[in-house]
Amino acid sequence: MQRLTWFGIASLVFTVLLDIIFHDPHHAINWWHRLPGFDALFGFSGCIAIIVGSKWLGKHLLQRHEKYYEKGE
Amino acid sequence: MSVIHPSLVLIATVLVLYLLPGRLWRWGVVGGPLLALLTVAGIKPGTILSYNFLGYDLLVLKADTLTLVFALIFSIMGVLGVIYALHVKKRGEHAAALLYVAGSLGVVFAGDWLTLFFFWELMSVASVFLIWYRGRRESLAAGFRYLLIHFLSGNLMLFGTLLLISKGNLAITNLTATNGIAFWLILGSVAINAAIPPLHAWLTDAYPEGTVSGSVFLSAFTTKVAVYVLIRVFAGTELLLWAGVIMALYGVVYAVLENNIRRLLAYHIISQVGYMVAAVGMGTDLALNGATAHAFSHILYKSLLFMGTGAVIYATGREKLTELGGIYKAMPLTVILYTVGAFSISGVPLFNGFISKSIVITAAGESGYGIAELLLTLASVGTFLHTGLKLPYFMFFGADRGLKPVKIPLNMHLAMAGGAFLCILFGVFPTLLYKMLPYPMNYVPYTMDHVISSTQLLLATAFGFFLLLAKLGGEPTLTIDTDWFYRKPAAAVFQRLVYILKQTKVRLDAGGNYLFQFVGPYFTNPFLAPRKLLRAIYPAAVDDEFYEGEGALTYDENRYRFPLGINLLVAVIFITFVATLAIVF
Repeated sequence: MQRLTWFGIASLVFTVLLDIIFHDPHHAINWWHRLPGFDALFGFSGCIAIIVGSKWLGKHLLQRHEKYYEKGE
Repeated sequence: MSVIHPSLVLIATVLVLYLLPGRLWRWGVVGGPLLALLTVAGIKPGTILSYNFLGYDLLVLKADTLTLVFALIFSIMGVLGVIYALHVKKRGEHAAALLYVAGSLGVVFAGDWLTLFFFWELMSVASVFLIWYRGRRESLAAGFRYLLIHFLSGNLMLFGTLLLISKGNLAITNLTATNGIAFWLILGSVAINAAIPPLHAWLTDAYPEGTVSGSVFLSAFTTKVAVYVLIRVFAGTELLLWAGVIMALYGVVYAVLENNIRRLLAYHIISQVGYMVAAVGMGTDLALNGATAHAFSHILYKSLLFMGTGAVIYATGREKLTELGGIYKAMPLTVILYTVGAFSISGVPLFNGFISKSIVITAAGESGYGIAELLLTLASVGTFLHTGLKLPYFMFFGADRGLKPVKIPLNMHLAMAGGAFLCILFGVFPTLLYKMLPYPMNYVPYTMDHVISSTQLLLATAFGFFLLLAKLGGEPTLTIDTDWFYRKPAAAVFQRLVYILKQTKVRLDAGGNYLFQFVGPYFTNPFLAPRKLLRAIYPAAVDDEFYEGEGALTYDENRYRFPLGINLLVAVIFITFVATLAIVF
């Protein structure tokens, strides 16, 4: 598992480096396409935001016990 | 060249299915969709098949390039689906699946609204049996809810259709920006079938309750048929862009909370169809091609994912993340084939999700919807997080629960291998798909920046996943969705209404009884009313209480009858009188 984690981080850094090397500002439509490593940052923070946000919604609004619908029908 | 309607081929197969003896019908099951696939492959753009029905010239088959892409993927899916279901012994389940596919192809080929409506309803009616054949009480209830919503969809479609026909518009045309009543009715109907929130709950309610092979069919057809109608009829309706973006994220949020493996995938159907709906909303050539291509890819990988989870359910009998885990050693082939589907849906380069999803996201950027582009990218983070990481991790790996999975039939593996092969084939050779797309476009998926940014996105997501792994396990809970409104408050209102109705009946019964007790004596004794009246006016005239009140004698007509002799006498006098008259005159 440890090795896999390091492999993951290494390839992430590698892709960011590739991003900087093969930087192609002509292909960008919006400003964030010009930031090297934007997708890495967006992916990571998006992932955390989705998990934390959804869990919060679940806890406070949406989740019920498993037999919730069984007695009403 | 004469053309046979592919739906007709499948409907004929159903008849043959019931006629073929012994084991032969299994071959019929595979043969039908294969024939339909060949028929579809033989149809050229511009082919028209019309049929005169009640004075209307129905275009039961009208093919152009858009039609043919969808028809092709639906018939390919039909073949993969029946192979996956081949071990199922119930002919009825196969018949339902074949009719469902026939309905889908019928909608796609329909050139007029009436034909479309007919096949639209055929889809609903046939598909519900794929849920009911599971035979569980929950499936029965979910099936009825499914049917309820789809009949609503059908009725909206019918009203819209009738309105259009009454104005002389029988042929299906683009309705974008007409904004009439028919526009909204048909949009509502299609929105239900495309599972656009808040009209989506039927999908996540019913699909996880279907049979193992039935849900594979379900996952492929209804929503994508709706996407086809959206492209055909509502391209460029901007409302759909934001509806689609919301869908894409909605499914992701719910998938975080879901414990049932097929319900998790069902939420990701909503998410994926969100990309297509958003693309329809953009309405540019590139976007519409993106919607078409993504529907094509989605059918392949989503059915593959449903086949994989179906295999797990078949092998273990369990469908909750909290009850699964540690079965990767027992079913390695399923793990590999599932992973192909998971990589495809996540948009990993060289898999078919990458070549279609990126068109939609690029189209959003190029149409000037930067926010939509970012939100759709965010949704694809969630997709990889759940179908690519969470689901396989907790289903196949995770905690070992000591499960002993049974062996999976060869045909299930074959169908999954077929789906996986196509996912990779189109991922590696995108032009195979691109050259079939209906609109002109100049799009290259494998550019350096596309591949780099996708890889970054996916690796970073995986990093976040392993960081928060402890938080991500399934929870033994149920997540309420918009079906809550009709399963809880509406059900409560309904039960209250039934109670009121029952009470009303009880009251009416009591009132009726009282009424009969009151008026009854007046009917059994015709003299009672005058007697009472007389006593009120002149009490002395009525002497006895004999015929009224408690213990009264019942009416007996003999008491008031003249003796028989008098009657005879009167009769004799009358006859003599008549006879005398006859003699005299």
